[in-house]
Amino acid sequence: MGLLQKLSLLIGSVRKKEVNVIVVGLNNSGKSTVINHFKNDDEKVSEIVPTVGFSVERFQSQNLAITAFDMSGHGRYRNLWEHYYKDCHGIIFVIDSSDRLRLVVVKEELDLMLQHPDICTRRLPLLFFANKMDCKDSLSSVKIAAALGLDKIMDKPWHISASNAVTGEGLQEGVEWLTQQIRELLMKN
Amino acid sequence: MSKSDLKISRWLDAHFDRSANLNTLPRNAILSNVAGDGENRLIIVDLKLERDTRCRLKVYKGTLVAADTVLPDVPSSIISFYHDRLNPRTPVVGVGCVNDLLMFKNNKPFFKYSLPGLPVLPAEYDTWKSIDKNAGIDVRAVVERLKGISFHSLSSRSQQLLNLPPSKQEEFILSYLNNEPMRINLITCMTTLKKSSQDTYSIACPIIGTEAGIIYVLDPQNFSILLQANVCNIKNTPYIITATGLYDVDYKILVATRENQVCLLKRGWVEGKGIIQTTGTIVEILVVPGDNLIVIATTDKMLHSYTKKGQKLWSIEMTFPITCLCVVALKHLNAYLIAVGLKGGLIQLYQGRRPVDYITVPDTPSCITFGQMGQEEHVMVIITFGGAIIFKILKRTADFNLSHQDTSMPLLNYNKSLPLPKRSKLFLEQSMREREDPAAMHRNFQQDLIRLRLLTAKEIAQNLNYQTGNTNERKQIKLSAQVMGLGPKFTVILSLENMNSDTPITEMSVVFHVKREIYHLSSYIFKIPMIPPTLSYKIKTSVHELTSNEIIEPTKVVLLDAKQRVLRVFVMKKDLNIPVLAATINMPSTELAF
Ligand SMILES: Nc1nc2c(ncn2[C@@H]2O[C@H](COP(=O)(O)OP(=O)(O)O)[C@@H](O)[C@H]2O)c(=O)[nH]1
Ligand SMILES: [Mg+2]
Repeated sequence: MGLLQKLSLLIGSVRKKEVNVIVVGLNNSGKSTVINHFKNDDEKVSEIVPTVGFSVERFQSQNLAITAFDMSGHGRYRNLWEHYYKDCHGIIFVIDSSDRLRLVVVKEELDLMLQHPDICTRRLPLLFFANKMDCKDSLSSVKIAAALGLDKIMDKPWHISASNAVTGEGLQEGVEWLTQQIRELLMKN
Repeated sequence: MSKSDLKISRWLDAHFDRSANLNTLPRNAILSNVAGDGENRLIIVDLKLERDTRCRLKVYKGTLVAADTVLPDVPSSIISFYHDRLNPRTPVVGVGCVNDLLMFKNNKPFFKYSLPGLPVLPAEYDTWKSIDKNAGIDVRAVVERLKGISFHSLSSRSQQLLNLPPSKQEEFILSYLNNEPMRINLITCMTTLKKSSQDTYSIACPIIGTEAGIIYVLDPQNFSILLQANVCNIKNTPYIITATGLYDVDYKILVATRENQVCLLKRGWVEGKGIIQTTGTIVEILVVPGDNLIVIATTDKMLHSYTKKGQKLWSIEMTFPITCLCVVALKHLNAYLIAVGLKGGLIQLYQGRRPVDYITVPDTPSCITFGQMGQEEHVMVIITFGGAIIFKILKRTADFNLSHQDTSMPLLNYNKSLPLPKRSKLFLEQSMREREDPAAMHRNFQQDLIRLRLLTAKEIAQNLNYQTGNTNERKQIKLSAQVMGLGPKFTVILSLENMNSDTPITEMSVVFHVKREIYHLSSYIFKIPMIPPTLSYKIKTSVHELTSNEIIEPTKVVLLDAKQRVLRVFVMKKDLNIPVLAATINMPSTELAF
């Protein structure tokens, strides 16, 4: 069973509702690879090409529809992200932990996101994947959390897990956490 | 609190390594796709000039050193270019060391190209050749003869010899006796020039400037010399070189020399021409890609801009001496900025001569480069005199409030308004009408324009036809015809009169053209003899109209109308492909015998 399917089952048992998740992060961080892992086996693609603009992946399971917005992380498309903030229930932020040079860019984009009017007032769960943990120059998730100043995020639940999107390592743990958070969020409303 | 703490920076501080211990000069750091994966690495020649240290070639992948190679000698310059079309496309890195172009591919030594040596002066040559090993060497005499030649024009072996203690000189001479004396062709600067396409991955020629004032353009595939040219007609030592254009199409090579000149070498030239002379020593020269302006920094704190022909546009004085320059190409903003590194650690960014931003670094920058690195498009790498390396990334949201007015105009014309005439009544009326019905006015204008074009085309066509100079031939000849008889047999008499008073008409002929079904002529072509001025010449031809029973298809008779009862006459001149005169003679219809 795919991870998103599991996610939808969990939420479906609480309430029949559509759930939107946006997947953001810089280009080449592994977002499309992460999403690919969540798909049913027959929908998986073997080769992932750089995303242009964004691509929408829908998963239908019982009465629940999950829509994952895989945003392109390329500089010129990053201004598209904010158009999807309003309607999302959770955010997955993918970071290439081997790209030390661009860690400041990650921080910049994260700060821009957290300051956005559609985000700053909401208690949205944030899931960070410190991806490419298998690369030899990769930073640990603790170091990445420190570099991004995640400890300063007080008003939103957040979680960081080291991952390898190619093998799927670490994805499960992260998504289970996010599922739990969204479920709590939906119960309160 | 410094100024930079107050403003919100447009740059993110990606990395700062104070202990990198790098020693570079301007142009000693480049960004290149050395791994062939499309992710540029930073390649630095790290100059180590102290005793017992070796210069190094360092490759940074992101913020980490990925390769570190020892160089055999002190490098003067570094370039990177694609030399083949093999996939994955991987460029070579070329380092100029003494007289060798050392090439590295995938961080490994790949090929070495050595420049040809230069001949030594005849006096030095003779000195070495006169030494006879068997007759015993007169070391003193050799040294004395070499001392008579100016030291800097000697080959390195003679220079070395003169610096040796006398006890070691004989041994030294013996070790060199079997080699031809040659002067080393020392590489001082290098650049690249794309060969036949501006494409990112297209192959490029290495260009080498040498101490002797020679420029070599090499073939990137077999490293033969494609072009050898002198920098200038007088002795000039190149030390910075840049090139624009394409080797196979058209190109310009700019050379800054130690004699404070900028020389231009164009396609087809074998010798450059000095186009700019500066007062201060040139620190750096670059060509701004957008408008092709030349920007020069000199040691007297000045930044100058020139047109590509060498005409000065503007000069600005900096507050501190300039140490390095770098083009900051911002394709997404359609702008090219110039980063000016200043002593003390300030880096000013200019659009044309307008300052748009500044960056501060802890100490004086010695080398700045900007471009794509890794996955990031806009990275500025700064290496300082203190040996630190600094990576800055331009924020996605930075727009620099750039204006797109032409900043290349000289300052003088800047404040002066153009002398516009007063608005006349006619102009006002015209503009009023234009506002009332712009569509119709536009249509009218277009119509008139098309008519004018048609008229012009017609005139041109006519002129082309009469180009042979016989334009007024037709005016000189008067043609008249007379038809005699009742039919079916007629006699036609043509009379050609020369209307000219002084020139005869020559080489004319007359051609008749008729419908063969209706008329038969006794002769169709007549050669006209020379007609002297004012005289006329008559020709006579008999015309036979075929009667209806002679016509094969009787039905045609009915269709015979006046239009077909004609004889066409053409007056032709030799070698002219159009008739001088043409006429139609209407033939009377045959009186039918009932
Ligand atoms: N080694 C390694 N490579 C990864 C990992 N995740 C993704 N990649 C590779 O990174 C590249 C970019 O992935 P992609 O999903 O297209 O990134 P996106 O631009 O964020 O969508 C691809 O070549 C992936 O195979 C990982 O965890 N480890
Ligand atoms: Mg993608």
